[in-house]
Amino acid sequence: MASIPPEREGRRRTRTRDPVSEKSVDQTDALGKRSVELSAYYQGKIETVPKVPVRSLSDFALWYTPGVAEVSRAIHEDPDLAFSLTGRWNTVAIVTDGSRVLGLGEIGPRAALPVMEGKALLFKFLGGVDALPIPIQVNSPDQFIATVEAIAPAFGGINLEDIASPKCFGILEELQRRLEVPVWHDDQLGTAAATVAGLLNALALTHRSVRDVRTVLLGAGAANLVTARLLLALGHDPKRLTLVDQKGILHAERDDMDELMLRNPWKYRAALKTNGGGRTGNLGDALRGADVLLAASTPSPDTVRPDHIEAMAPEPIVFALANPVPEIWPDVAKRAGAAIVATGRSDFPNQVNNSLVFPAVFRGILDARARSIPDEVVLAAARELARGATRRGLSAQHLLPTMEEPEVFPEVAAAAGDTAVRLGVARRKLSHDEFLERARAMMGRSTRLVRALTRARINPPMPRPGRRGRRTE
Amino acid sequence: MSVGNDSGPHPVSTAEGPSVPIHLRPATEADVPVLVPLLLRLKRLNEEFDPLLKVREDADEQARNLLKANLSDPKSVVLSAEGVGADKDKVVGFVRAVVRERPFYHPEFEGVILDIYLLPLYRRRRVGEYLLHEVSAALKAKGAGVVTAEFPAQNEIAVRFYAKRGFRPITAIHARSL
Repeated sequence: MASIPPEREGRRRTRTRDPVSEKSVDQTDALGKRSVELSAYYQGKIETVPKVPVRSLSDFALWYTPGVAEVSRAIHEDPDLAFSLTGRWNTVAIVTDGSRVLGLGEIGPRAALPVMEGKALLFKFLGGVDALPIPIQVNSPDQFIATVEAIAPAFGGINLEDIASPKCFGILEELQRRLEVPVWHDDQLGTAAATVAGLLNALALTHRSVRDVRTVLLGAGAANLVTARLLLALGHDPKRLTLVDQKGILHAERDDMDELMLRNPWKYRAALKTNGGGRTGNLGDALRGADVLLAASTPSPDTVRPDHIEAMAPEPIVFALANPVPEIWPDVAKRAGAAIVATGRSDFPNQVNNSLVFPAVFRGILDARARSIPDEVVLAAARELARGATRRGLSAQHLLPTMEEPEVFPEVAAAAGDTAVRLGVARRKLSHDEFLERARAMMGRSTRLVRALTRARINPPMPRPGRRGRRTE
Repeated sequence: MSVGNDSGPHPVSTAEGPSVPIHLRPATEADVPVLVPLLLRLKRLNEEFDPLLKVREDADEQARNLLKANLSDPKSVVLSAEGVGADKDKVVGFVRAVVRERPFYHPEFEGVILDIYLLPLYRRRRVGEYLLHEVSAALKAKGAGVVTAEFPAQNEIAVRFYAKRGFRPITAIHARSL
């Protein structure tokens, strides 16, 4: 994880006296330093490697010209053959304009590259997906869309990453409309799917249903607007769902509604649909009597206060997902009465983590050669992920599978693939068992590949901390 | 930007009445305190379209005085839209218009719609259409032979709303700062 900007770090240190956060700041600093060191040593995290034998240079008459011309001719006649005669079926573009990278903000496409490389590594290692980092320098959403449309013929799917809200909504919608492959924005769909999965299990544990709870979503950005949409699709009563942002409760008569209508129609529509009874005020007003808080806002430990939690309904469910500093620390939330707490961090129980979702979902939809990714696919993945947590026993400390439970991922992939077939968006209609088998094989191969490269020292071992300079190869 | 921003406040036109039965009536002096914030919302919306439409600090007072003057002016029409159900007796929108003489053209009198505003929950439910229909009738009754509407040139939602109802641009106001 990249280090956080000094001003935020400073504020965090002065605003909290919690020893956990002190420790985590030091830890984040140390990880940042080490990450720079290793980046200097390895100079990039992924590279392209041939997947065919090259016995001699004469083989290039097959892999390249003249032999390859026949392959091109075949695809020219039937464009869908690109999904079986080239690597398109398993190749994804990770596209960003660098407008909202991690907690760093608008740092531009060049500075976004290390993050996209890391994402590509996760795609390959966890999902067996070949992903290319493609940070682009663009000046408008239209230019962004045109650029992705232009490069789309090379890819079986597009993963949008770290794009500022609200432009990310329009870009995703328009690309989904235009392209013949699935387009995913991980900060919207990945986060929302993981959140919904965790919530489904939290509700099951506390004997409640999504149909009869009152939920408050703190933050009305990329993740929460989609989480709200998915919850409504699951039968959550829109009137019992309230969004809260920096200006307080989002409601139909708020002063900034006309501005939202022009600048952020997604939030505007959410305001019209949600918050029945016309609640107004701040987070505290919204949380009074609520069953669930899903916070995905700006990192700060003081955003949600203990008295907010105390005012919620009995056995409140609290997801404090801001990274690296949750809106309220888990122990503070628990002391205030929270029955179940989840965060975005791996060092607390119940990490709501995109990596539980995107590699598996892409595995499934790529294996289906899907043309698109409807919300039903996202929900199927979320449900399967929730089910996956029960394999090792569901509890308030184990809401979601961790990254150490890789047996769940092929199941999530198969659920995504199945749903694509059922909805008629799959070019290749495999059975559930075939999807499962395929996902296990692809994911297993990737893990073995990375391990083999490390074992054979083709990828050299990590240097000792403190060592400077680059690898010698 | 062409992306996704299709959330205009008004539906495709039909001649039917509003699907949300609002109650439309001439505004009274007692409405002024609730009309002022609605009128200011509209002017702030206009501000979004052009820096030359920046709302003045004293807009609140101006709005109050203007509305009061309109209410006592026989050439003006101000209609208040009241909601229904929980919003019964609550003013959820308004329309403000005036009849102007056209010294050089036929028809001689023009009914100018200056402001139409509806709270968000009453948009896209044909209420705007109903307001337009009713204010046109009121202007006609005051002698207008043509109805026009003034709004920021960049307000594409308004452009579409009026275009769908047979309006076309006949004059244009172009501006630059001095």
